[in-house]
This record gives sequence, C-alpha cells and structure tokens, in this order.
Amino acid sequence: MIISIGNDHIVTETKIQLSNFLKSLGHTVIDEGTYDTSRTHYPIYGKRVAEDVADGRADLGVVLCGTGIGISTAADKNEGVRAALVSNLVAARYAKEELNANIIGFGGATVGEHLCEDIISVFLNSEYKETPENKKIIEKINNIATPNPEQKDNPHFFDAENEKWAKGVYHD
Amino acid sequence: MKVVLGSDKNGFELKEKVKKYLKTNGYEVEDVSETPQEDFVDSSLAVTDKVLKEGVKKAVMFDEYGVGSAMASNKVKGMVTANVIEENTAHMTAMHNGAKAISIGSGVVAEKLAYNIVQYYLDTEYAGGRHQVRLDMLEKMI
Repeated sequence: MIISIGNDHIVTETKIQLSNFLKSLGHTVIDEGTYDTSRTHYPIYGKRVAEDVADGRADLGVVLCGTGIGISTAADKNEGVRAALVSNLVAARYAKEELNANIIGFGGATVGEHLCEDIISVFLNSEYKETPENKKIIEKINNIATPNPEQKDNPHFFDAENEKWAKGVYHD
Repeated sequence: MKVVLGSDKNGFELKEKVKKYLKTNGYEVEDVSETPQEDFVDSSLAVTDKVLKEGVKKAVMFDEYGVGSAMASNKVKGMVTANVIEENTAHMTAMHNGAKAISIGSGVVAEKLAYNIVQYYLDTEYAGGRHQVRLDMLEKMI
C-alpha cells in the first residue's frame, strides 16, 4: 500500500521510526513532514496527509503529534476523510471495520513505540465490514461538513496564519 | 462551571454516572441526551451545537469507543473534540488545543478513569499564546 504520514515537530523521531517500520513491511511511504524538530504547526501536515488520501495519492494516512489530537482533528477537517484518534488496538480495529476510517492518528508522545507499530499494523490489516447500520452512519458523517473549495488542495490556505506567526503576533 | 453532556445508547450508562459525579462536585450540567440519541452522530452534533452557539467552554460526549463522536463533531467548522483515554491527554488537549469537548468511549474507559479524565479536562485552562496559531488554522478549516 501507499501510506501518507505526517507529524509535528514534537514527534519527528517517532515518525521516522514508523516510516521505517512501514517500509520494512513493504509499503511505500509518502512523508509529508515535518522533517525536523523546528517549531511548526500540526494543521499544515494534517491537511497534506488528508489530501493525499482524499485525492488517491495514498491508500491510507497516519498522523501523529504529541497527543495526536491536534493533527488528527486537522486531518478530519477535510473532504473525503474520516480520521480516527486511537490509543489502543481495539479502537484501531473498530475505526477501520465499522467507520472505514482512512486516517489513523495517535499521540507520538503518549503512546509508546511498540504500541504505535501495533496500532498501525492493526489499522492496515483490518478491513471495513459493511452493514446497513455502519453504511448509514458513515454517510451521515460524510454529509456533516460543507465542502470548502478555498481549502481543498490549496497549499496557500494557511499563508495568513504563517505570516502572522513570522511577524511574532503569536507569543506565550 | 457549566458542562454540556451528550450520549448515544452505548455511552448512556457512563454518561449518567459522570453526570452524577459532576453534580455531586458542584458543576452545572446541561444534558442534551436525557434520553439517548439514536447514534453518536446525532448526540455529538447536539453537543457541538450547544458549544458553538452558546459558547460553552467544556463538554463531554459519550459513545462506545469515543472515536465516532470526535470524528463526526470535528467535521463541524470551529469544533475541536478530543477522544481521550487517559488523564495526561485530557490535560494536554485542554491546555494546548483548547478542546471544546472531549469524547469518552464507554467500552474502553471504565467509571473511575472516566471521572478522572473529566476532572483533569475541567481543571485545565487553555494556554493560548503560540498554540493559538494552530487553533486559528483549525478553525478556518471545514
């Protein structure tokens, strides 16, 4: 399979471990960054992975940040994506079998290195089991968001925020 | 502090227990699921509506895994829901993501852990600062 993977600067080393793990299983990896540990913003990478999956460049996506919450929420906020934040195998299996999730997210800082690999394995190896009930609920999820043409496949979507950041508007 | 609660059928029993816990500890509770909604899409969207339209800062959604409520409600522009399984994430997501709701799966989180997750979430305020650029990005997405 082709797997797109994305992360923020907190968990880059874990991302590299997981990228190597995926390659060792014979998968092709699209690494959407971030690539180092310089401070950056998780929505950028969640959006890139989501678009890889939604546009068919990747079969599935994997996203991680410290807790996984920020980047999985960002990934979920894209057309054609159902992103699941999990921290155990039973939820990873549920997300795929029942909700046909196409992106899995977890906390690179909260979930340990062994469990991360198992979560990915279970997610990749589980198959969607269509029933009238889960088909209906997936359709309901897919119909919640109003498509945003400004956002979709627009690499400049976050330019205004990045510019404000560069000017030092956001500070602790 | 006001806390909004909502649940589908699977999360209903745990929601009732957390509701009692919150009331015992002096919180004001608004329950949008006095009777459970048909599924987690309906219950999580009912909570989301309260949060976004009335500006409630803390809410908890219940279903079987927590996964579905977060997946569905995060499809609403402006919403940030965190599926939480332990206390550290409950604290971190309140502080860094300003999570407007957390979701808890009744099938994966037991009663005592659920109380503590909710307590850590409620006891933590959003930090703002550098985290706000990420929230501004999230909030302009779908």
